[in-house]
Amino acid sequence: MIRVENLVKVFGEEPERALALMEQGRTKAEIREETGLTVGVNDVSFHVDRGEIFVIMGLSGSGKSTLLRCVNRLIEPLSGSVFLQTDEGEVDVTELDDERLRAVRRDSLSMVFQRFGLLPHRTVLDNVAFGQEIRRTNRRERRRLAEEMLGAVGLAGWEREIPAQLSGGMQQRVGLARALATQANVLLMDEPFSALDPLIKVNMQDELLRIQSELHRTILFITHDLDEALRLGNRIAIMDDGQIVQSGTPEEIIVNPKTEYVADFVEHADPTGVMTAKTVALPVQTRRFDAEDLGGGRQRYVRRGTEHLAYVLEDERFEALERDGQRVPTRPLAEALEDEAPTGSRDDAVLVAGPDATLKEVLQGRIHSHLPQVVVDGGGRLLGVISERELIHGILYKTANPDVEAAVASQAAQEATA
Amino acid sequence: MNWLNIFESGLLPLDDWVQTGVDWMSANWRGFFQAVKVPVEVVLDGIETVLLAVPPTFMLIAIVALAWRVAGWRTGVVSLVAMALVGFTGMWELTMITLSMVIAAVVFCIVVGVPLGILAARSDGFASGIRPVLDVMQTTPAFVYLVPVVMLFGIGTVAGVLATIVFALPPMVRLTNLGIRQVREDVVEAATAFGASPWQVLTKVQVPLALPTIMAGLNQTIMLSLSMVVIAALIGAGGLGTPVFRGLNSLNVGLAFVGGLGIVLLAIVLDRITQAFGDVDPR
Repeated sequence: MIRVENLVKVFGEEPERALALMEQGRTKAEIREETGLTVGVNDVSFHVDRGEIFVIMGLSGSGKSTLLRCVNRLIEPLSGSVFLQTDEGEVDVTELDDERLRAVRRDSLSMVFQRFGLLPHRTVLDNVAFGQEIRRTNRRERRRLAEEMLGAVGLAGWEREIPAQLSGGMQQRVGLARALATQANVLLMDEPFSALDPLIKVNMQDELLRIQSELHRTILFITHDLDEALRLGNRIAIMDDGQIVQSGTPEEIIVNPKTEYVADFVEHADPTGVMTAKTVALPVQTRRFDAEDLGGGRQRYVRRGTEHLAYVLEDERFEALERDGQRVPTRPLAEALEDEAPTGSRDDAVLVAGPDATLKEVLQGRIHSHLPQVVVDGGGRLLGVISERELIHGILYKTANPDVEAAVASQAAQEATA
Repeated sequence: MNWLNIFESGLLPLDDWVQTGVDWMSANWRGFFQAVKVPVEVVLDGIETVLLAVPPTFMLIAIVALAWRVAGWRTGVVSLVAMALVGFTGMWELTMITLSMVIAAVVFCIVVGVPLGILAARSDGFASGIRPVLDVMQTTPAFVYLVPVVMLFGIGTVAGVLATIVFALPPMVRLTNLGIRQVREDVVEAATAFGASPWQVLTKVQVPLALPTIMAGLNQTIMLSLSMVVIAALIGAGGLGTPVFRGLNSLNVGLAFVGGLGIVLLAIVLDRITQAFGDVDPR
């Protein structure tokens, strides 16, 4: 949907002077020292898929807002390309003349701002209709669209107010409705919730996710808040000094931060909503388990230290958990979470989690059963077990279970020999 | 050479140069200056004809109604008292002539001043270029440019209005410039991001948001126009300046007072009404 290639922005007189230095790999500080120029965006490439929320995260001064403004050329990039899928096919935004750039801004790219950017002299309704007004849509149609979008953001009935009479959160809802009302497929969001109170902020994030699940826009979202990035992003890119230092899914970032800068961020992040069961689960085919072949493709695995529990597998599929030789009933984790309060004893059942269940869900599952949870994939294959140890390990160290990689490696080796 | 007074050594004949220059302009550019007069004359005559044709009672009602609608009932009452006093002191017709001069001058100040202010807001170069010109227009004593105005445009109401325009234009330009520059950058950016053209940004965002400041400029322009009226009477402009001027010449304090009172009362009414224009309710 959006493809940014080798984008560069340098602030100052004769910015071209910085290009050669950047190619030599000089840092932002060195270039500033030598030429007095400020590198805003340093050779950035990424792509955003249709219907995805792509989050660019970085501290202030990392160039993230500059990068976003280069996409719709509120700031003119020095070099590089921004390919955008529009109704008339793919265009390179950086190549457009003024008239066509305006057309792209009207029809294909809309934007939400940190400080809302609402017109204080207009009513909420006229603010939301602004994009359509610029497109010269007739009055009736743009009112209809604006009313519909105000309804979508939960502000029906506020049409006649002026922005100053609304709280910050409500003003940003207006900003969001205004961006949605242009019907543009791509939404650029520049720290839209940073100016809001923490509670309102979480509210707005939920709201955005809800709206996104209905409208499926393509969203490029800027933030300095990692928790926000983790909550919203299908993928995240982390920026530092004008460059993207790492990009990937939230879980990849949390579990495997590539630089110290990213690691610093991750250290303070809450991993429970992001890390998944499959990442922390300890596979049974590891040295911590003793295996016993029952014949007929069935095995019994017993974890050292908890000898009263045995995991019975058939063709690698999870069959049952035996406690002191007695089979324990199984129950899907998702089903258990639907109960408001635990039913029966916490020893009654073993919970079965899907591979993408979050740590938070697994934790909630502990309320219903303190037995280890088993993680199975769609085909019923046992991916591993999560006991207290794995949970604590995952939350504290935000890394995959160390045995996972060993297990994957040994399995690959086995397959290679077989 | 006398080193104690270096100015004795020779004088710059600037006065002669200006005299020669203005003489030359009035002789050779007569067509141009007559052409400048035409639109002012047309507008002024039109307004004056209307204002004098309406029976004073209706006019009084119309002014009070306007003040009441625009600025509330208090201003309505003030306007009623002020305009009635003007009428009952026998100054109604002269007041209408002055009012038409003020309106004509202000119309041209808007037509010229607002675009200049917008240009100044868009270009720092233009802004710093026009600033000394505005300074000169505002600080030059009015009497100084009455002479060339008379030489170039003759005497009469039109020449008076032209002198008034020169004097009253600067606040219009300055405050339009200021108002547009004060519009929040993020709002302009938002409009641009939604694909608004520069013209749309100007008309839908910048001018509406600058309107209170522009209206303050308009208010100042009107006040300056009124203060110019007495002086314009010196070159036969007519209106409320005439009794003041005649009272001054014949030591007729009463006549001068009544004329002066008319100017003050008209100023109060116009000031209240135009100030209310600045508080625009978006709904």
